[in-house]
Amino acid sequence: MAPIVLDGIRKVYPGKPPVVALESLDLTIDDGELVAFVGPSGCGKSTVLRCVAGLEKLSAGRVVIGGREVQELPPGRRDIAMVFQTYALYPHLTVYKNLAFPLKERHVPRERLDSDVRRVAEMLELTPLLRRRPAQLSGGQRQRVAMGRALVREPVAFLLDEPLSNLDAKLRTQMRTEIAAIHRRLGITTIYVTHDQVEAMTLGDRIVVMRDGRLQQVGTPAQVYENPSNLFVAGFLGTPTMNRIVGHTSHGVVTAGSLRLAVPGAPDGESVLGIRPESLRMEDTHAGWPSFEVAVSHVEALGNENLVHARVAGRPAQLDLDSASALAEDTVVFRAPPKVRPETGGTVRVQLDPSQLLLFDRPTGERIRLLGPATVIDSTEIIH
Amino acid sequence: MVRTAEAPAASAPVEGRPSVLRRVWWSDHLAGWAFISPTVVLIGLFGLVPVVWAFVLSFQQNDLISPGKWVGLANYKKLLHDPLFANSVRNTIVYTAVFVPVSVIGALLVAAALNRRVRGITFYRLAVFIPVVTSTVATATMFSWLLDPDFGLVNAALSKVGIASQGFFRDPHEALMSIVLMTVWGWLGFGVIIYLAALQSVPADLLEAAAIDGCSRWRAFWRVEVPLLAPATLFLVIWLTINALQLFDEIFVTTKGGPVGATTVVVYYLYQQAFQYFNGGYASAIAYVLFLAILVVTVVQLTAGRRLSHAER
Amino acid sequence: MAHPALVPPVLVDPLPEYEDSVGPRRRRPSAWHLLLLPLSLVMLTPLAWMVVTAVSTVQESRQFPPRLPSSIQWSNFVAVWTTAPFGRWLINTAVVSAIVVASNLVFCSLAGYAFARLRFRGSGLAFMLLLATLMVPFQVVLIPTLLIVKSFGLIDHLGALIVPNLVTAFGVFMMRQFFLALPPELEEAGRMDGASRAGVFLKIVTPLMGPALATLAILTFLSIWNDFLWPLVAIQSPENMTMQLGLSTFQGSHLTDWPLLMAATLMSQLPVILLFLAGQRMFVRSIASSGIK
Repeated sequence: MAPIVLDGIRKVYPGKPPVVALESLDLTIDDGELVAFVGPSGCGKSTVLRCVAGLEKLSAGRVVIGGREVQELPPGRRDIAMVFQTYALYPHLTVYKNLAFPLKERHVPRERLDSDVRRVAEMLELTPLLRRRPAQLSGGQRQRVAMGRALVREPVAFLLDEPLSNLDAKLRTQMRTEIAAIHRRLGITTIYVTHDQVEAMTLGDRIVVMRDGRLQQVGTPAQVYENPSNLFVAGFLGTPTMNRIVGHTSHGVVTAGSLRLAVPGAPDGESVLGIRPESLRMEDTHAGWPSFEVAVSHVEALGNENLVHARVAGRPAQLDLDSASALAEDTVVFRAPPKVRPETGGTVRVQLDPSQLLLFDRPTGERIRLLGPATVIDSTEIIH
Repeated sequence: MVRTAEAPAASAPVEGRPSVLRRVWWSDHLAGWAFISPTVVLIGLFGLVPVVWAFVLSFQQNDLISPGKWVGLANYKKLLHDPLFANSVRNTIVYTAVFVPVSVIGALLVAAALNRRVRGITFYRLAVFIPVVTSTVATATMFSWLLDPDFGLVNAALSKVGIASQGFFRDPHEALMSIVLMTVWGWLGFGVIIYLAALQSVPADLLEAAAIDGCSRWRAFWRVEVPLLAPATLFLVIWLTINALQLFDEIFVTTKGGPVGATTVVVYYLYQQAFQYFNGGYASAIAYVLFLAILVVTVVQLTAGRRLSHAER
Repeated sequence: MAHPALVPPVLVDPLPEYEDSVGPRRRRPSAWHLLLLPLSLVMLTPLAWMVVTAVSTVQESRQFPPRLPSSIQWSNFVAVWTTAPFGRWLINTAVVSAIVVASNLVFCSLAGYAFARLRFRGSGLAFMLLLATLMVPFQVVLIPTLLIVKSFGLIDHLGALIVPNLVTAFGVFMMRQFFLALPPELEEAGRMDGASRAGVFLKIVTPLMGPALATLAILTFLSIWNDFLWPLVAIQSPENMTMQLGLSTFQGSHLTDWPLLMAATLMSQLPVILLFLAGQRMFVRSIASSGIK
């Protein structure tokens, strides 16, 4: 076990024009920590992993593992192990031999090798499968063999590249808890790359959100969720996606359609109101909370809750995260308990918890931190 | 748990590249060149050097025993006016123009017929495939006997239906077509293998969609499957053309270019020039002209093929 | 309309089984046999007639219209062995094939792997030149190759047939394609597990090369087997000839003794035909894959 320090690492692929996969990135991962790198495709998270692994050469910067600078060492000498997205099990070897391979390469004596392999197989419930070949295993079993092969060496650091993305949903949930259990039990410093924010949130001691080769935010799942540093992070984490309503701030008041809120400390300019679906309630019971009427456009019944898509009168527009332009649609999404199911086309009243409101500067996407809680300006009767 | 590092720490990077990196970089380089050096040497010696040398030879008068004499473009000029060469070119073109379409279309139809699960299909397929592994010499010998004007089986069969005996290889008007017949038999299996593989990779749901749309099996074949075979067809046309232009073995074994030069093709003429008349330089010039012709024809076929497939979209 | 909650869920009937095509219904023989049977017979006729003639006497072969032989003449086969160094031709061909196939398997794999996976200066240029040689027809290099082989003193020697064919550009190209198609993660995993580059090649890549090597072996063998022009030019003495070349000289000197000739042809083709029948799936697959360019 060892801390991992990424010091100004940078990766540029040659070409016309050259592709910057990783802008200079700094991060310290504590000993025994599981850090989840999350982001959309092409954000550079896999590149970070491969650079730490040694499968890519850095263009600049240092990787320090357990106090050792490793960026010049070949992958086999860094004392780390990796689980590949496609598992990369050796198809011509049995499960036993797959697990034994790293130990054989290190000339571990036979008895110790056997006991190590069996111990790992036991831990991952692979013992009955030891004589089989990868082709005879199910996806979940292969995934466990891949993990076993990585763990059998007791590496100081553990790298996982989207290990669950090839599994079906149910298996994914199951394996998630298993991976969490293994991490708790073994305490190996781990870098976990995924595009699935649920995995990142549930597994990570800390989350690193990346985009376009740059680090967007680092923090615990709670920190990153409740305190996103920019629109991208806020929109990336959380399902359903946060509602992002375009508005305008002037003199400390933000106006978005028929919503008017006092936002102390906010500078003038184009803004975006971030309202998570769980911040909207279908009751009318909280005094001082802004409430407004919405017209229900459709309801998704999920069994455990209902997701209500509704249009806000007064035509505030939603912000499209990818194009950063305002969408014509003005639907917001909020949650309703399973038994409460509003009629499509009907109007309901929703209340917004202003302490959960997030304000972003529209041109830069940066979060605007308020000096005090947001408060309602008007009582919110909507004028159609 | 304290772990000892497995390898000594990398030497402290001072200026320039640390020694470990250089070692890694070198080993890749060395490995690469080590892996390819036998290949490079052998193919360089037997592939590249001869190409250049032949080019040089084509500008010489060289009987392959004594040193050659430089004659510049004389060989190429001679080619333009050589009636025997012109004859060989004509024969080659006629042969190719008949052999390739017949082979391609024949292979397509036979492959379509063989692409089904009927009892005994393995036997039928083997019957078509086996001729592929018979050597050119064996094929030529078998057909010399089959097409023997006096005692051959084919003439016997023809006489049974009232057609007079044909001269085949001995008839100047029939010799070339007899060669076509023989080589079509020898190559059919190859084309069928290619087409069968292509037919079997047609996604089943395309045919199912056509069936739902009310398309008959026959029309589905021509409208759905055959267009999907375009890459295979292009490959086959190019491959067979290249082979047809290089026809030699069968001529040597059966007609030796006769009768009266009716089956002298370019490569046979080349062989005569080099090894019977000892005009090595002239033969090299012929070889280069052939090379050029093959290149041009292949390029034309490739671009035509690509344009056709684009036109269909 | 009743509220959905009040309508009890209904068990949907399972779908009726499709009419099974296998069953007591008698299958009619397909009409395709009418086409396929004559086709196969036509294709097999030259071979069949070769067999028939090979067991006939010379007199029987001179019948017109021809008749089936009254008895089987094994003497023709014996005569072939005694009147020509048939056995030597067989051995020569086998030796040349074995060595050429083996060396191609080794060299083309190494080179193909290097071009596909290793990065080293000059690899691009080397590969381009290699591809270029593929475009050149053999007749162009025929004469210079002969001169080169002569300068090594290999004329009229089996070495002349072996050395120029030890590596083929086509083989290298084919193996490179194969290696490019292997998932790189396998080798990366190997490197992460601590294997050296050579270790990765030997322990992980080599076991997976089986099918590709089989294809290469078959295609290389077929091209050696069929080779005629080069042996014709490089070999003169009958003892050093390959089967093809030997057969053609035999044919040249026994032009009218058709039974003898057919016996020789039959014996010369039998090994390969038997090999083909034994491994026809592999043969067919190899030939089909040569079309994937």
